[in-house]
Amino acid sequence: MALLEVDKVTRRFGGLVAVNNVSFAVPEGEILGIIGPNGAGKTTLFSVISGFIPPSDGEIRFAGESIVGVSPDRLVRRGLVRSFQVVQTFADMTTLDVVTTAALTRRPIREAIDYAAHVLQRVGMAGKELLTPATLSLQDKKLLELAKCLATDPRCILLDEVMAGLTIAETEAPMAIVRELNSQGVTIVMVEHVMPVIMRLATRIVVINFGEKIAEAAPEEIIKDQRVIDAYFGEHLDA
Amino acid sequence: MRQEFYKTLTSPVWLVILVLAVVLPPLLPSYYLHIVILALVYVALASAWNIVGGMAGQISLAHSLFIGTGAMLSTALLLKLGVNMWLGLVISAIISGVMGAMIAWIDFRFQLGHLSFVLITMAFAEMGTVIVEGWDFLGGASGLLLPQDKGDFLAFQFGGGIGAFWVMLVLAIVSILINVAILNAPLGYYLRTIRDNENAARAIGVNILRYKIAAMVISAMLSSVIGTAYVRYLTFADPYLLVSPIIIIEVVLFATVGGLGRAYGPAFGALLLVPLGEILRGKLGGTLPGLHYFIYGVVVIAVILMSPRGLLPLFEKWFSRMRPKAATSK
Repeated sequence: MALLEVDKVTRRFGGLVAVNNVSFAVPEGEILGIIGPNGAGKTTLFSVISGFIPPSDGEIRFAGESIVGVSPDRLVRRGLVRSFQVVQTFADMTTLDVVTTAALTRRPIREAIDYAAHVLQRVGMAGKELLTPATLSLQDKKLLELAKCLATDPRCILLDEVMAGLTIAETEAPMAIVRELNSQGVTIVMVEHVMPVIMRLATRIVVINFGEKIAEAAPEEIIKDQRVIDAYFGEHLDA
Repeated sequence: MRQEFYKTLTSPVWLVILVLAVVLPPLLPSYYLHIVILALVYVALASAWNIVGGMAGQISLAHSLFIGTGAMLSTALLLKLGVNMWLGLVISAIISGVMGAMIAWIDFRFQLGHLSFVLITMAFAEMGTVIVEGWDFLGGASGLLLPQDKGDFLAFQFGGGIGAFWVMLVLAIVSILINVAILNAPLGYYLRTIRDNENAARAIGVNILRYKIAAMVISAMLSSVIGTAYVRYLTFADPYLLVSPIIIIEVVLFATVGGLGRAYGPAFGALLLVPLGEILRGKLGGTLPGLHYFIYGVVVIAVILMSPRGLLPLFEKWFSRMRPKAATSK
């Protein structure tokens, strides 16, 4: 049985259909990549899965149970956590405070503080515990997004463009973390624009265009798929 | 460096201040004792408000409702129904807590932004004023007069001046300690995350509704208890003082000037501004009426311009600059 099942999910905003009848299943332990042109509906899909926006139609199951209408914080406690594409800022908290809050999901306060420090070290942010997130570099802000997710001890992470805006060299650190997490059994669904990253990480790729799923296959097959090339790569190669 | 600052507070210097605070007041002339008691009332109120206004970042003006309930309802229960004021204190606190929970729920259910929250809570405060003024049971517009304070502890009497000082000192310390406890507990982390970024808070597992209600209930009940103790000291339950928007605006002002969201910030602001306001009024009120308000206003504006996050963070900064070695060697 798949850990996460998205079944004919549709989300409309007035007359606009942002996500149209999308289905896919993610078995435990997989890294699923979701790609598509800008405005294809990827982030909306994530917001629907993670409970921030209710679906207009369709069913979503996590570990066999329907999670439609379950609030984001309950989903986190069940083991489904998301990161944000737009890096989240905190005006008056340190990075350690923010990650500690995430760690409180499953730990008492003393343990949560220690664990948060450990997670920050693990993502390569040791020594930056007492900085304000707003003062961090983009790379560190992205790492903080990862650290927040990690600290909740998830079964499944939805990563929304954690590599976007980073140079190829800068993506090495988050990629290594994603791999390591996955090797420990954490299921990962990632939306990503940086092609080399997703091609190297994902075991399977779902392509979305105009809110609809247009392809689903292994990375090496996806890059040969004519529909995908037309919808996604085509416009980039021509430009 | 912040730790260094507070280490100094727990040092002998702090102990001396504490001892002076305990020993001096009984020796003070009653006018100055009154100022000290008033300062303690506002230390307690500003610290109680800080749980919602500072930590959760919700500028609630509805707290005059809770202070007013604590004061007017407990008084009315005693005078009209003969309910012991200790019991009145508990009943008022519970009713304040329920009202606080309702306001927090409305805020969550209708996703009020910061500005709407301020306006809604202001409307609640205004409703409180109207209800008190129009309802004879609560004293109406003329207020209620408590029996003379004969120092009967079981009847919630503490013997006026010095007794009131002790009660207020205890309430102020309890209020501050509750702040310290919350900031170090999960609730403090949740509230600060909610304040800084509500969506991000939900995404890392924070139940917004539960903790907004928790903060509001604790803060409302505490404000109500302080209100009851305050009215006992004043003896006269004056709706224009205790249920008016003025009292809550003062509380917000002191907390902001001292340093929002910090355990000692609001207390610091109240300790500074209450005596300043009272002394200015005492010295200038007779000769140049109105001037004390002006000076007071200038001081407040200057502080907010100089350090938007309040005076306490500013002092922390000065302190770490004065002792760079201590700060860097940790």
